[in-house]
Amino acid sequence: MNETLAIDEGLSIVSDAAIGFPAPPNTYRSVAYANTEPGSQKATWLTVRPDGSPVAYAGKVEYGQGIRSGLALEVAEELCVPLETVEVVLSDTDRVPWDMGTFGSQSTSRVGLQLRKAAATARQRLLELAADRLDLPVDQLACREGRVVSQGDGSRSVSYADLLADQRLVHDLDDEAPLHQPGEFTLMGKPAPRIDAVARVTGQAQFSQDIMLPGMLFAAVLRPPTYHAKLLDIDTSIAELLPGVVQVVHDGDLVAMLAETDEQAERALDLVEARWEETPGQPSQWDMPDLLLSSAHDEFVTQEAGSLEDGFRAADSVLETRYYVPFVSNAPMEPRASVAQWEDGRLTVWAGTQRPFGIRAELAQRFEIDEGLVRVIAPEVGGGFGAKSPYRPAHEAAQLAKLAGRPVRVAYSRAEEMAWSTFRPAALIDVKSGFKADGTIVAWESKGYHAGDRPFLGRRGSDTPYAVPNVRVATFTSDSPLRSGSYRSLGGAANHFARESHMDEIAVAVGLDPVELRLRNLTHARFRGVLEAAAQRFGWSAATAPSQRGVGVALGLDVGSYVAMCLQLDIQGTEVTVQRVAAALDCGLTVNPDGAANQVEGSIVMGLGTALYEAIEFQGGRVLNNGFARYRVPRITNAPEIEVALVGDPDTPSTGAGEPGIVPVAAAVANAVFDLTGQRIRELPIQRHLG
Amino acid sequence: MPALEVNGQPREAPDTRRNLLSYLRFDLGLTGTKYGCGEGLCGVCTVLVDGQPLRSCMTTVGAVAGGAITTIEGLATDGELHPVQQAFVDEQAMQCGYCIPGFIMSATALLNREAQPSSAQVREALAEHMCRCGTYQRIQRAVERAAAMASDPA
Repeated sequence: MNETLAIDEGLSIVSDAAIGFPAPPNTYRSVAYANTEPGSQKATWLTVRPDGSPVAYAGKVEYGQGIRSGLALEVAEELCVPLETVEVVLSDTDRVPWDMGTFGSQSTSRVGLQLRKAAATARQRLLELAADRLDLPVDQLACREGRVVSQGDGSRSVSYADLLADQRLVHDLDDEAPLHQPGEFTLMGKPAPRIDAVARVTGQAQFSQDIMLPGMLFAAVLRPPTYHAKLLDIDTSIAELLPGVVQVVHDGDLVAMLAETDEQAERALDLVEARWEETPGQPSQWDMPDLLLSSAHDEFVTQEAGSLEDGFRAADSVLETRYYVPFVSNAPMEPRASVAQWEDGRLTVWAGTQRPFGIRAELAQRFEIDEGLVRVIAPEVGGGFGAKSPYRPAHEAAQLAKLAGRPVRVAYSRAEEMAWSTFRPAALIDVKSGFKADGTIVAWESKGYHAGDRPFLGRRGSDTPYAVPNVRVATFTSDSPLRSGSYRSLGGAANHFARESHMDEIAVAVGLDPVELRLRNLTHARFRGVLEAAAQRFGWSAATAPSQRGVGVALGLDVGSYVAMCLQLDIQGTEVTVQRVAAALDCGLTVNPDGAANQVEGSIVMGLGTALYEAIEFQGGRVLNNGFARYRVPRITNAPEIEVALVGDPDTPSTGAGEPGIVPVAAAVANAVFDLTGQRIRELPIQRHLG
Repeated sequence: MPALEVNGQPREAPDTRRNLLSYLRFDLGLTGTKYGCGEGLCGVCTVLVDGQPLRSCMTTVGAVAGGAITTIEGLATDGELHPVQQAFVDEQAMQCGYCIPGFIMSATALLNREAQPSSAQVREALAEHMCRCGTYQRIQRAVERAAAMASDPA
């Protein structure tokens, strides 16, 4: 069983280990938590240590979204302690409550709320302890800066540390504990610096690429030359002779060189002679649009109302267009890496995954051991954007460490990261609309064909937010020659590109300004709010496109948050430069406005890459541009000036801020390109279609 | 055996052919310098050699023998952040932070040779770095702030 951690003194707030995404109880019931009572299914969410400083536990992973700081802010707010006294323990399966994974912008909305309740419960308990100590009723006491003070007589107070000295209190989380209201906030809702910023500018922040253990071997793993290739035979006899090579592993599908240094392992791998049987006839990038249509199956209707037949009959005009987005790479700056160590039948794996508990379950299954014997630690993660849920190097490192009897490190090269990660699915989307001469949309039919066997990827954001009486939106699952996977907003970006481009095409058809056309069809107050805010910040002036100004607009909804943006661009030859973006986000209560703005800025830059340049090229089961020489991503020279307005109502519960910013970008760019040039581009990336 | 200086300390590397990035990270444990692409295209492995930014992933130890190398761990003095580091904190110029050491090293070299760079000079000096989280606007502001701090040390 797990080691017992020393955080058992002070005041601990415990609650059900699994919240958020519904989890089958058995996934955590079998595992004892190190930070809670043996045999209990409850985990510790928060402990106020005897010195009065809190430590919060969360299964979330820090991969750039600033969640460690956001959660610390929420705890400090509710517990009334200085922000710098809060410690947040993340993503170590031995130390934190079970968690499904860090995706879908759930960290603030669910775990943040849970920790606020835990901190509010602790505050209530501290008030009760102080009432006894000071012999005053609770309603005459208040918490401030780590102390409980009498509201009537400021000289009568007691510190949390004094209240908790020599105590060991465990209290159930009180779902009804009174939370601070927006008007009372002293920390939340105000821009706050990240608590882990200094570690990031000094090189102290430790990523899984940086983990080193005594006696650790470096692995170089043989990868197939093409997808689905089978190893026929292999000669490692020369590789084995190289100095530094400790072991050559050939175990099932896994062939790896284990050496004392990284370069020795890589050199050895270069000397391996392998013969492969490749799988012929794998589709190329050029086959994609046809393949998406011809292989479509499993129609899923995401939105249906009224009668399309009636709607199209009532329309003055009907417009049909087709949009296409290619496969793109998440391309996080940190390629995956993992270190594994076996000690007395217990496995510890460091892996920068978004899903440490999921990887733990996979490893337990692979080695047929109890989950309690596996510890997965996700250190700082150098970006993922959805891709780092699957984590093959964790499996490889664990298997190799077991065979070698020493800790083993498996780290992807850039080429491995780009070829063996997952890709945002290619998608083809047909839109047919019927509208009146005044721009009122009366019929909307959309069919989206998304590559990959996980149909929910394509459904996100496929429904139209416009008030259309007759509507049918369907998505299909289509074959994927590449491994489709998660990406910021999943299919939301593709679906928004299609819908928001088509909205502009309607505006052109009826001779309306694109903001006006949208407002004419929008009744939802929060959508109207972000659109009006973005237009106002941008200084939008009404005109019909193409106005030759190069301005574009689009809006969207993702993870419950509303977003709109206006931008301006210029084109020299085939090079598009987006100069300025004004965005508005409504994610309800914003815990840390600077953190939310940072996420929207980053989402916009990432969206510009997929809009303008990014596409995975592949042929014959091989990615042709698996490096930055041939896969262009935005640089500082391509970055626009971005203004983000956060317009959420603080009384509305928090929704996500990490993903929504990307969904309108590609359409806003395509619309601005049309506005500048009169050329309508319906296929990404846009720059391939210019000139 | 090639002799060099790393963050002010004399070192002897085991092998002239040893990759400089691997040497720093795995032999000296200076893991603040990162691996990103191995092709000199992303900038996360940038260190200073005699004050000049260099892509350590494309360099051997032998090629910098006799040189003075500064890594991100060597910038702060006596626990005090270097002005460029402080400016990155002040502007919250980071998300995951993996690329940030490389940006800071190139920005430091820029400010050493050009105390008051124009916005265009900042962009040019950092054009061969990548931040996939897209914090470029903040990075730009941070470098400009560091330059302003140097000219007006309050």
